[in-house]
Amino acid sequence: MKSKTDSEALKHNPEAGSSNKLIGNLLRNPENTIVYVCLFYYLVMAFIAPGFFTVNNSWNILFNLMPLMIVAVGQTFVMLGAGIDLSVTSVVAMASIIGGYLLSDMTALVEPVWLRMVMGLGAMVLAGGLIGFLNGLAVTRLGMPAFMVTLTTMILFSGTAIWLTRSQNLYLLPENFVNLTYSSLLFVPYPLLIGLIVISAAWFLLNKTLFGEWLLASGMNSKTAYLSGVPVSKTLVKAYVLSGCCAAVASILYTARLETGSPVMGQHILLDVIGAVVIGGTSLFGGVGKIHWTVVGAVFMTLLDNSLNLLGLSYFLIMIVKGLVILLAALLNLMQVRKLT
Amino acid sequence: MKILRAIVRLMIRHATVVLLLAVLLSFSLLSPKFLVSSNLVNILIQSSSLAILAIGMTFVLLTAGIDLSVGSAMFVVGVVSGKLVISGLSLWWAIPLALAVGMLFGLVNAFFIVRLRIIPFIVTLATFYAGRGLGLLISETRAINLPESFLQIGSSRLLGIPMPVLILLVVLLLAHFVLSGTQFGRQVYAIGHNSDKARKAGIPVDRILIGVYLICGLCAAIGRLVALAQLGAVSPTFGYQNEFMAIAAAVLGGTSLFGGKGNILPGTLVGALLIQAIQNGLVVINADPYLYPVVTGMVIFLIVMIDSLRHKSAQKALRTKTAA
Repeated sequence: MKSKTDSEALKHNPEAGSSNKLIGNLLRNPENTIVYVCLFYYLVMAFIAPGFFTVNNSWNILFNLMPLMIVAVGQTFVMLGAGIDLSVTSVVAMASIIGGYLLSDMTALVEPVWLRMVMGLGAMVLAGGLIGFLNGLAVTRLGMPAFMVTLTTMILFSGTAIWLTRSQNLYLLPENFVNLTYSSLLFVPYPLLIGLIVISAAWFLLNKTLFGEWLLASGMNSKTAYLSGVPVSKTLVKAYVLSGCCAAVASILYTARLETGSPVMGQHILLDVIGAVVIGGTSLFGGVGKIHWTVVGAVFMTLLDNSLNLLGLSYFLIMIVKGLVILLAALLNLMQVRKLT
Repeated sequence: MKILRAIVRLMIRHATVVLLLAVLLSFSLLSPKFLVSSNLVNILIQSSSLAILAIGMTFVLLTAGIDLSVGSAMFVVGVVSGKLVISGLSLWWAIPLALAVGMLFGLVNAFFIVRLRIIPFIVTLATFYAGRGLGLLISETRAINLPESFLQIGSSRLLGIPMPVLILLVVLLLAHFVLSGTQFGRQVYAIGHNSDKARKAGIPVDRILIGVYLICGLCAAIGRLVALAQLGAVSPTFGYQNEFMAIAAAVLGGTSLFGGKGNILPGTLVGALLIQAIQNGLVVINADPYLYPVVTGMVIFLIVMIDSLRHKSAQKALRTKTAA
């Protein structure tokens, strides 16, 4: 019946028919629910939250969004492989103090500042990758549950970061590094640029490479993937390495913005990161998820934090509302999915 | 030779217990003050709160669920009971009310999970935030100091057994009985194995799940009261990250995060004792406090690793047997 009317509409006006269908599909597509929730929330807040709909605050939202989004994109890879990476917060902390140590004028290890920058930033990403590699090896080679592996590496490395620095912050980072947040290339601020590069690279990896296909297959059903010749272990290790590297890149942004290397950096972002990925719609059980879903999830979490702060709510009310809104978003998402199936 | 092999097999089967003994032994070699009866009783008392919490968590994990909100539930329970006692309510009213608050938490979780079918991870993530905020709101982010009467319960003894240990024993035996001796317990395992099949077999899945989250909330409340009676104060970071420690204790004891596998006695109890023994031992040997999390993390990592290797070799043995 429906197809008939569609085809009739096409007969009369093919162009309008296809565009109507496109819009209808977009509206009915359950994966877009969270986008509408975001838009609706943005509009409401633009009216009721003082100072929300301003240029300054928009930049603020963008700068808050970038690091969270980058960590969440890394986390998406791990979750697509039916794992979870709780150690991202400790990666942020470790990378922050390693970067702080190597970059700081206090230590001034290497003389030309640009060389120090290259070395420091390289070491940060390398450290993230190494922790991810360790997680990946433990999960795939030793068959340990991902939750436990990354929980212990989280405890271990955040403890190590605090132990190494004796809970002292590392100051005196070079000007060039601190200015990262405020300078731009072709009118695009560096944090935004880095975020865009990470998203596009992640999108490319997931959708256009064999690795992406293997990862989805491994997450969907690791046994059938293995039997069909997918190198499941290698693929999953790569996912954990990616997650570690992404967390380290986020750490660069956090460290530059706060102008200090801190061993407790990122301590409270864990549940925001996981919340962003899951609210976006990526399954905790692997195999289902997309990069742009996570981006929208991260946008939602950031909007929530920012607007509630602007509304002048106290810290504890923000937490309560945040909890309720997460539930509501999950519920809306679910109702859409159920209506269709 | 035969005996040796039997011993090795026994050790592999009870790897967590062996590891607990190994931890106890290595600390006793490092300090003569560790393996004395007063310190062992100390470890028992200190681990009672975590163990009770982990017992509740075991029920949830057995159904392939997870409860991230227990730490927040503990915080709210602590704040509410503290406020009630300070405002002059007698303990005999405050304690049941606190337990009711814990169960209410479980009920809210269960409502969203069972009726609205949202996955437990999201639901309890949300109640994690909401609970912590609620606790901070009620306590006005100030620490609450409790009256002496509360502390006296913590240090009192009944028949020579310290009160916290006694409560732990009661909870432990009750939970063990429920899980291994009743229909409810068997149905919990069935749901964890495969909830669809359990539903088709006529098991009232929804009712069991509600029961499980209620038990978890109740255990969180009891565990919190036990900890309160020892600490005497509720700080704003009270119960923070306890959910992870409870999950770690259950998993160390052999409970699977994917449901259907695990037990409370000895599993979860040994897991909780293990975590507490490491932390106590580090204090006794005067280790650098900055090293506590590093060592705890490494030891838990090692134990989980040994446990998984054991499972792996058991699976391999099974496979070769069926092949032959």
